[in-house]
Amino acid sequence: MAYFLNTLSITLTPVCITVLAAMAITIIFKTSYTANFAQAVIASFGAYVVAAGLNKAGLSIWIAMPLGVLAAVALSVFIDVVIFRHGRYVNSLGKQIITMGLTSVIVAAIPLIFGASQEIIPFKKFIDGNLTFEVGGELVSVTKNSLVCVAITVAVIAAIFILLKYSKWGLSVRATASNEYVAGMMGINTHVVTAVSWGLAGALSVLAACMTTSIYPLNAYFMSNYQVNAFLACILGGFATFHGPVIAAIIIPVASSLVTYLGNVAGAPELSGWSMVIVYGLSLLVIFFLPQGIIGGKTVKKV
Amino acid sequence: MNKFLRQKYGLLDGNARNRRITDDMRRALANPIWHYLLFGVVILVIGFLSSNRIISYSLGTGLATTFAYAIAAVGFCLLMGYSGLASLGTGGFIGIGTYSMYYIMGEAKLPFIVALAVAIAVAIVIGVIVGFISLRIEGIYLAILTLGLSEILRQLYVAVKDSLNFNNFKLFGIAIPNRAMIYVITVTLVIVMIITHNLIVSPTGRAMLAMKNSTAAAQAMGISLMKYRLLAFVICTIYASVSGLLLMAATRSAMASNTTGFYAMVTSLNILAAVIIGGTRSIWGALVGTFIMYGLQTVVFNKIPFFQRNPVIITFVSGILVVLVVMFYPGGLAQLLAEIKNGVKKLHKKIREGKYGKDVG
Repeated sequence: MAYFLNTLSITLTPVCITVLAAMAITIIFKTSYTANFAQAVIASFGAYVVAAGLNKAGLSIWIAMPLGVLAAVALSVFIDVVIFRHGRYVNSLGKQIITMGLTSVIVAAIPLIFGASQEIIPFKKFIDGNLTFEVGGELVSVTKNSLVCVAITVAVIAAIFILLKYSKWGLSVRATASNEYVAGMMGINTHVVTAVSWGLAGALSVLAACMTTSIYPLNAYFMSNYQVNAFLACILGGFATFHGPVIAAIIIPVASSLVTYLGNVAGAPELSGWSMVIVYGLSLLVIFFLPQGIIGGKTVKKV
Repeated sequence: MNKFLRQKYGLLDGNARNRRITDDMRRALANPIWHYLLFGVVILVIGFLSSNRIISYSLGTGLATTFAYAIAAVGFCLLMGYSGLASLGTGGFIGIGTYSMYYIMGEAKLPFIVALAVAIAVAIVIGVIVGFISLRIEGIYLAILTLGLSEILRQLYVAVKDSLNFNNFKLFGIAIPNRAMIYVITVTLVIVMIITHNLIVSPTGRAMLAMKNSTAAAQAMGISLMKYRLLAFVICTIYASVSGLLLMAATRSAMASNTTGFYAMVTSLNILAAVIIGGTRSIWGALVGTFIMYGLQTVVFNKIPFFQRNPVIITFVSGILVVLVVMFYPGGLAQLLAEIKNGVKKLHKKIREGKYGKDVG
């Protein structure tokens, strides 16, 4: 039991990261009808700003992180307002390809701005130390850092859902998501809605990146694994709702560590190398039978 | 010879016959297959000069890797430009080739043809699986799903064997050194281009195009969605797998856990970007696009001292190029070339009109 709880406690941070990344991807997909492949590098860019604030300017993480968030928001809004809005013939697929192009641009820009050295940038955790509990005579430890991550994630995601449900902004986002053209005719400024969504997505992904630094050393590509997970979560949960991807984003990392746990319990520790393969395979199987995702609406195809 | 000419051109003789012969030859030479062969010969000559160090040595090796990727890009062109299916699984599919090469040729010491056969067989299986998925899920969802599938394959590769080293590529019992890889790759690329061209102009190509424009209309015309979607994915996967075989033979090492390696998302995105930059419905476009994404760096920019000092600027420039092409030239460079060709023709016509007046031939 204690071993099981320990496995789950390690999974807390990855769950938070995937949830935030999936939310960022969903909110852009809903308002701009495109999958943003540059999300991971925008997050890295923000994380580099945070790291520069921490290490070069000697700021505390609680000041440096909002600066990084601001930088990523500015970058994301720039992408939407300057690039997407001025493309002459940009369709949904075109937007995706633009984000792929932007991936290379940002990846190249990071060493140009922050220095080309490949050294690992030390990145402080939010808070150090562990909390230990006793469960059935055995010790279960949780890092305080992961609890801070959970608190931040829950607060942010709850705020977004409340705003989506009850605020005027949420209404306009939902209207734009269901039909951009009609929403525009009803007097909603869809340009503002998409720009704000991009900014929000940028902010969420920087939060995710700051959490990732406690797991992986910072580099331009360090979020790409989580991005792939988040994309899969979005498909698994279905883009039809906002909460579907979030639920799937919780399921995927938990399922992955469950596979590792079961492998260790059953005496097959080599299973941990295969955990992502198994989880992806199962997700694909689910998607094959439920193409709209586990919490998906039904789409009627118009001919 | 005379008898043959008489049979073909009947009783025509003298100037009339000569004119007919030139016309026929011109028509035959207009067949794109000759262009592909000519391209192959040019590259072989460049490869020969480069491998004997008459011109820069890195030009040959750079072109070899670029054209190995181009094989995957041509397959992707068929999938996206002609069947309208978006896939981001290219990276994972390339791995099929590298791993068959490593295990069949490197470990089991079997001939290349066995490795090729295994790679194609596995590619067919994977292609059929993806094809079946594509029947249920479409568009952007399919793209992300294939990205997931590619990631499954990559994790599988990491779990099986992370780092591959391979250096005994033999063809018909002759060891092929690294500098000679460009010959093998160019010949394969030209064969692939010719096969793809024939496929595109055949009823299969037309069926795929119909499917791309409207699945409902295509089905109404009696085109089986399942057959052609599976076929498109199978061909694309086979090409990617062959490209993987050649990449393994050319680069001699691969690392699955590398997030910028062969099987990573970056490769899939780069191949997609290459096809988009070049123009989705043009084989030449796919080639030019791949050259921009992969070749420019090794062949052109690495020669310029400024870029040698700042290699990231190349990634920067290629990214901006992708963005600009999508923003202003959705048809890709193929469209740009066509427009330039049209412009030259118009200019030519105007000059003639200015010279001889209107209504002259």
